[in-house]
Amino acid sequence: MTAPRTVIVTGGSRGLGEGIVQHFLDAGDRVATCARSETDAVRAWQADPAYAERFLFRKADMADREQCTAFFKDVVAEWTSVDVLVNNAGVARDGILALFSDEDSDTVIDLNLKATIHLTKQVVRNMFAHGGGRIVNISSITGLTGYRGLSVYGATKAALDGFTRGLAREVGSRRITVNSIASGYLRTEMSHGLDDGQLNQIIRRTPAGRLGDPEDIARAVSFLVDPANDWITGQVLVIDGGLTA
Amino acid sequence: MNEFEPKIVTIVTELLERSDREDTTVELGATLHGDEGLGLDSLETAELSAILEDEFGTDPFGAGLLPETVADIVAFYADATAASA
Ligand SMILES: NC(=O)c1ccc[n+]([C@@H]2O[C@H](COP(=O)([O-])OP(=O)(O)OC[C@H]3O[C@@H](n4cnc5c(N)ncnc54)[C@H](OP(=O)(O)O)[C@@H]3O)[C@@H](O)[C@H]2O)c1
Repeated sequence: MTAPRTVIVTGGSRGLGEGIVQHFLDAGDRVATCARSETDAVRAWQADPAYAERFLFRKADMADREQCTAFFKDVVAEWTSVDVLVNNAGVARDGILALFSDEDSDTVIDLNLKATIHLTKQVVRNMFAHGGGRIVNISSITGLTGYRGLSVYGATKAALDGFTRGLAREVGSRRITVNSIASGYLRTEMSHGLDDGQLNQIIRRTPAGRLGDPEDIARAVSFLVDPANDWITGQVLVIDGGLTA
Repeated sequence: MNEFEPKIVTIVTELLERSDREDTTVELGATLHGDEGLGLDSLETAELSAILEDEFGTDPFGAGLLPETVADIVAFYADATAASA
């Protein structure tokens, strides 16, 4: 894996994904990302001559297998091999299970778990054919400790961590590492569901005394996908300002 | 001999080389699995399927077939070409 690497970051149009995309672009890598809608961040990357030939965006609903596959095929048509996959796209639906709609369960499971597995399978096959790679799954501390109102979301993240461990064993001999990052609460749209009282309580309980920024996670992603770090695999790295310590 | 034969033999040979089995000669009649044949395990089979797809755009395993010999793989591509000719 020599620079520039080809990196796929799902859901890179805003929030954490946007921070991760920016981090890889700053490092000189080629970055492909997708989301259901285009944002100002995406338009700015597309228009920036510094990223010409190094940035690819496709509108795609990852939960739709055909759209997900079409996105992957576009990336391979453009850059042949994938060196790094960051499974970031995710959705949280907050609600007490006893009142939770089946539709919300499906939305959360279809994207966080099924779409991630579907894309990862295709990328792993590409990595088999091209000599290895790095995979990072963006998980959550809610998959490690329970949070009321987030049981379904937490279940998908715990499942993702299980996927990380199993896959790491399966593909380790083929120079592919697979790790999870269990992120704490970030200042992104996803945490807008929490009211000020809840956010202040989280901050009070966090040793680092603040919510996380996408950059806090992007730096850890960059560490895990470093070509030199081929002895870290199958792990769940918790990055939460110490909240769950 | 068709055009796929040498390419597929090379792909399988390189796959075995990566698993330190460079002394195995790949013949068309060789069975892919089992001690009597090339002895591919499930991961190597997955790898072979991925490499074939990368090279040719489709692969017999992905198409739901279970090729047993190197010749079966060659036949898959030769048949596909004949069908589209
Ligand atoms: N925010 C937190 O506090 C927090 C904490 C722990 C873990 N995480 C994890 O971090 C990841 C990113 O979260 P975030 O906070 O950045 O969320 P976000 O601000 O809601 O952004 C989600 C991104 O994913 C895209 N996306 C959503 N549904 C999609 C779909 N069906 N197909 C393709 N793209 C889709 C969104 O674009 P579109 O909506 O346009 O499709 C957007 O780019 C998620 O896996 C989340 O579980 C977040």
